[in-house]
Amino acid sequence: MRAGNALLFVLLAVLLLAAVVFGVAFGAVRVAPLSILRLLLHEIGFSSIPLPEARDVTIILYLRLPRVLAALLVGSSLAVCGVVMQGLFRNPMASPEILGVSAGGSLGAVIAITSGLARLASLALPLLTVTGALAASAVIYLISSARGATSLLFIVIAGMAVSSLLNGVSSALLLFAKEHEVSQYFFWTMGGLEGRSWQHILYAAPLLIPVLFALSLYSRELNLFTLGEEGALALGVHVEATKRILLALAAVATGVAISVGGPIGFIGLLVPHFFRLLSGPDHRSLLPASALGGALFLVLCDLAGRAIAPPYEIRVGIITAILGSPYLLSLVIRTQRGRARAR
Amino acid sequence: MTRSDRAFGGPREIPQSPTVAPLLETSGLSYAVDGKTILEGVSLTVRRGELLGVIGPNGAGKTTLLRLISGLLPPTAGAVRLAGRNIETMSPRQRALLATFMSQESSQPFAFTVMEILLMGRYPHRGRFEGDTVEDREAARRILAYVGLPGFEDRRFGELSGGERQLALFGKSLVQDTELIVLDEPSSSLDIRHQDRIFSMAQELARESRAVVTSVHNLDVAAQYCSRLLLLEKGRAAADGKPRDVLTPEILDRVYGIRTLVSPNAVTGSIAVTVVPARAATGGARIHLIGGAGSAVNLTRELYRLGYRLSGGIAHEHDSDEKLWKSLGVPYVSVGAFSRITDDDVRAAARAVEEADLAILCSFPVGTGNVGNLKLAGLAKRVVVLQTGTGDTPRAFFAPEGKALFDELCRRATLMSYEQLLASLPLASGIAGDGT
Repeated sequence: MRAGNALLFVLLAVLLLAAVVFGVAFGAVRVAPLSILRLLLHEIGFSSIPLPEARDVTIILYLRLPRVLAALLVGSSLAVCGVVMQGLFRNPMASPEILGVSAGGSLGAVIAITSGLARLASLALPLLTVTGALAASAVIYLISSARGATSLLFIVIAGMAVSSLLNGVSSALLLFAKEHEVSQYFFWTMGGLEGRSWQHILYAAPLLIPVLFALSLYSRELNLFTLGEEGALALGVHVEATKRILLALAAVATGVAISVGGPIGFIGLLVPHFFRLLSGPDHRSLLPASALGGALFLVLCDLAGRAIAPPYEIRVGIITAILGSPYLLSLVIRTQRGRARAR
Repeated sequence: MTRSDRAFGGPREIPQSPTVAPLLETSGLSYAVDGKTILEGVSLTVRRGELLGVIGPNGAGKTTLLRLISGLLPPTAGAVRLAGRNIETMSPRQRALLATFMSQESSQPFAFTVMEILLMGRYPHRGRFEGDTVEDREAARRILAYVGLPGFEDRRFGELSGGERQLALFGKSLVQDTELIVLDEPSSSLDIRHQDRIFSMAQELARESRAVVTSVHNLDVAAQYCSRLLLLEKGRAAADGKPRDVLTPEILDRVYGIRTLVSPNAVTGSIAVTVVPARAATGGARIHLIGGAGSAVNLTRELYRLGYRLSGGIAHEHDSDEKLWKSLGVPYVSVGAFSRITDDDVRAAARAVEEADLAILCSFPVGTGNVGNLKLAGLAKRVVVLQTGTGDTPRAFFAPEGKALFDELCRRATLMSYEQLLASLPLASGIAGDGT
């Protein structure tokens, strides 16, 4: 690990904690940060400390906390999935949304919504979202394993094609949907975290936390993948098996994350890139840094969405897009310049 | 002492009794993809201590052979045995503890440092929950100095020159610390100093009772450093043995399709392979080219390369034919730009044409300015009239006598397309000589 990375992790942890407290405190109705502390201390056993007033307890426990935790989980997951896909395809432009995995999840969501399954069973939407993401991942795996699929641009263009196809199918399904279903889907695709309850956290956390942990165990393999698949193979990596495992895990994480927050864009692309500059490209530090950083980023974006024009809320997907697009553009331009210099 | 320290510990004695399995053994190794055979029936035994150079023309299957013996590709037929075990029954990790493969691919999209790249070579030696040890780092640091990149630890790999990257990747292979070291064109972007360094290191590794198998483009380098050479030709082993037994003109001329000269290298005592320039080979026939409007440019280049003695004309100054002849030093006759070729000009050029074994009339439009060139062609011993090909300037006739002169010429000339002419070229002296 590079020098300074320990500091980075401490800093990220502190910032994340602060962001969570702010995220819980801030909103249409403000809650004093002290109330949060009091509730926390009370809950962990200091029963002598008086509880804050009942209204604050309700807001903290049932409105804000699940929402902030959802942001934390979703941001962390999407960022880690981005790290994994960028490493796997040795391409800083790869991410769940670029490669069509998010589009696969969205198609799953459309099917869940338009078929009415989402209303019958609360787990139908996440289940179908994960299924869709897995199917798109399988397609990407097959494409990337084709012979000669080595150019950096290839996988990005293939992913865009898969993405467009899946989005097309989604739109076609919506043509036959009822109006309220269309608007339900439309709001869902914007990405947002309002109204997220413990129900979401209860299915998402037990899935996402182990998956993210499992992905982090493959950091060394991800390092070797940046040498090219042949380089990884020569050093003893089970290349095909590893690719399948990592793509499947990333698809599950992406699917679960977007079933909670909708297909929030740019996190999987930007956060890994940003933290690669800070922590270095070694996945043993990049992956946990991006996990913390992605969580921090999304909690802050959600907070910003609530703070800009209260009492209205700007959906978090809009915030990430507004912040993300210029960053992506500058990334593309710098890559091109770098390439021109290399020549 | 860790295994990687051996790289610095001098030669290591391993008694090679006949009962010890050779490090690498292949039998009937074949590889085909989409029905196209890349490699066929290569049987090979490599013992510890050998530095085997794999040579052969582009596309002969060198890289494929190296991939197969490193276990990166499964053969379509035959088998690879590494230290007595079939490589296909090994796990990738077991294989990576025995053989390293250094590919030509050296791009790295992310900003890893050279040290981080080298330490990747420790991967097969470490479990999932083990980190790099202090010993690993120290060994990697020494190897970096050994390959000629001391102090490069914290440099970014992606910002190194092509040669430095190759050295660093070679270092990564040493960090991997295997008995079999497979190198694919390790010196392709190295200057001669680094080339010497990498092949000297390969020799040292072989002396440590490892085995090195490397593809080499440069035959002199192959002769100088390798203890043994395998020559591949269209996927088959065409020769296998000591450099001086493989690098003979008889074998090389057939496989590479060129003429070579093999001579002792006075300094190294090795042998040097020289390509005999094709220009000197022909020489006999003399050809006069009659062009205009750039119609003779390509033909001039082809014939010049093949070594024919050429002359040209009558050209107009600043025409592209004229410019090319001037720069190649081809003797030619010319008139001023846009001036008419007079009968006097034709007489002045007559000698060059009459002395040529063959005159070639290229495809160009004929007007009053250059109709003299048709008269000139009529003076030649033999004339080839080139048919107008796709993309050529059409042979139009704007002068009244042009068409008549051309038809007259065609009666005694040979009509050929550009392709037919080129195809007949090895026999060009025949065209010129036996009067067909």
